[in-house]
Amino acid sequence: MAAAAKQAQQLARQLFKLSVVDGAVSADRVAGVLAYVEKHASSNSVLVLKAYRRLVAVELAKSEARVEHAGIIAAPALSAIAAAMSKKYGRAVVATSRPNPALLAGLRVRVGDDVYESSVAGQLAALSLSV
Amino acid sequence: MSTVLDQIEQQIAKLSTKAVKKNTGNIRTIADGVAKIDGLSDVMYNEMVAFPGGAIGIALNLEESEVGCVILGDVSKLKEGDEVQTTGKLLSVPVGKALLGRVVDALGNPVDGKGPIDSKETYPVERIAPGIMARKSVNQPLFTGIMAIDSMIPIGRGQRELIIGDRGTGKTTIAIDTIINQAKINKVGIASGDAKFRPVYSIYVAIGQKSSNIVRTVAALEAAGALEFTIIVAATAADNPANQYIAPYSGAAIGEWFMENGMDALIVFDDLSKHAVAYRQISLILKRPSGREAYPGDVFYLHSRLLERAARLDGKGSLTALPIIETLAGDVSAYIPTNVISITDGQIFLETDLFNQGIRPAVSVGLSVSRVGSSAQIKATKQVGGKLKGELAQFRELAAFAQFGSDLDAKTKGQLDRGARIVELFKQPAFSPSPIELQVSVLFAMQKGFFDPIDAKKVVAAAADMKNFFTTRKDALLTEIRTKAALDKDIEAKLQAACEEWKSGYTA
Repeated sequence: MAAAAKQAQQLARQLFKLSVVDGAVSADRVAGVLAYVEKHASSNSVLVLKAYRRLVAVELAKSEARVEHAGIIAAPALSAIAAAMSKKYGRAVVATSRPNPALLAGLRVRVGDDVYESSVAGQLAALSLSV
Repeated sequence: MSTVLDQIEQQIAKLSTKAVKKNTGNIRTIADGVAKIDGLSDVMYNEMVAFPGGAIGIALNLEESEVGCVILGDVSKLKEGDEVQTTGKLLSVPVGKALLGRVVDALGNPVDGKGPIDSKETYPVERIAPGIMARKSVNQPLFTGIMAIDSMIPIGRGQRELIIGDRGTGKTTIAIDTIINQAKINKVGIASGDAKFRPVYSIYVAIGQKSSNIVRTVAALEAAGALEFTIIVAATAADNPANQYIAPYSGAAIGEWFMENGMDALIVFDDLSKHAVAYRQISLILKRPSGREAYPGDVFYLHSRLLERAARLDGKGSLTALPIIETLAGDVSAYIPTNVISITDGQIFLETDLFNQGIRPAVSVGLSVSRVGSSAQIKATKQVGGKLKGELAQFRELAAFAQFGSDLDAKTKGQLDRGARIVELFKQPAFSPSPIELQVSVLFAMQKGFFDPIDAKKVVAAAADMKNFFTTRKDALLTEIRTKAALDKDIEAKLQAACEEWKSGYTA
């Protein structure tokens, strides 16, 4: 069981490497990988696909700046955030907005594993930890 | 109330309005105190990570697609999908004299119900040991108060001396006696007003022990008046293995504060066998490759990096370590015992056979050694105890002939008689350490033959009577021995006279 999981992980990693073109995930390549897995279906195809999905999701998250905001955010602000993140990370980053009233005010920007917190809720949480 | 509001407003004003960057991940699996986390792409090895609900963890496995973290604290509220953040910090514990007299857990949080600890500093739990040039050679004695050890296996400040033996042979008792003795010496030294006197502060790290044992130990230290000079770090058997893994390093960090601030400290690790077992559990859950006896490959480094932190520093203080290892069926050639024997500067080996014969402390003089040796002894002890090890070795060789007592020549019989009396003399009740000056006096009496006319079975009672005599009626002589730390002709004459006086009044 553990050996099968390890094999699935290794295959998923190889398929993922084939799916990245010029540092970004290519939709065509992903389609090709899915077709390949469907054609060569085996007992651990589900494991392979799940591992592959995780790797692709992590990579896609690096190219998306998820902007959570409490109130309204203007389009120019979103563009500015996208430009700043693209410059910081050295790759094209697209900003998407998600309303989150729990933030009270301010923004929270997530790019991959990095979270940039400037919301009131985040600052109050930091305050409560420090008291 | 307005000052409270002012404080809160100041805290709010201090908070930066700039965006704060955090590196996060999500829990993928959590089991047996170990969490596997997706994300945390910027985490560093041994970095502290924050879980929801206040639990913290340490990143121990940095793999390509996940991070393995051991969790210190309550894991019951954590679940898959919870967000975890890096803190950018290494795990640290509070240090300082504010911890004296307190019982803390592996993270330095008080568990004795006596309120918060007002500590001004923290030290990282994992630290690189002092380098070669920062050290000084060990030549100051650390008196355990146990005659068998102080006379034949002397320990110095900054040494690592292993206490090893089977279960129930008195290992913890030797450690507690040593702590109690330091407290007694501290009180006498502080009361004397001597500016050069250096007290020894003690740290007792309990790893994987029953809580009832720790309670009993605390009670013994309190009853002996030693708790005010002692810090207890408790990672009981009920704690998760991560806490048991961290506890010795936390204790070492607490001891290092004393060492680096010009003071002397003693740390007892009770015991490192359970520490190795806890580390094995964590490593197996983290799927690290296992080696001999299923221990991970770096189990030697687990203990070597811990014990190397005990040292005597040039221009500063010292940290003396007494690690304890429990053997099975007296097997000192097992994996963990041989590892720790090779790391330490000697061992005190306790034998079950000796214990069952009533020889307590059950120290095997033949197998025990102190690699520091007489450099850590005062001159007085060398003068009266220099030949003891040899005499006991001869006694053990001749012991097989003891049953033929009537057929032996006078010299052999004399050696057997002397050896039997020395063995009896070294018997000592638990939690009753003897001051060094009293030990010197008793050993002087043995050397001069004052115990020879007494039946071997009555030597223990005679020695107790002699100690009482010296304590109550020859206090000035004891003080002189303690301050001069050597026996000149004048002191020897006084000792001789005192022993004669005792002998004339004693009836066996």
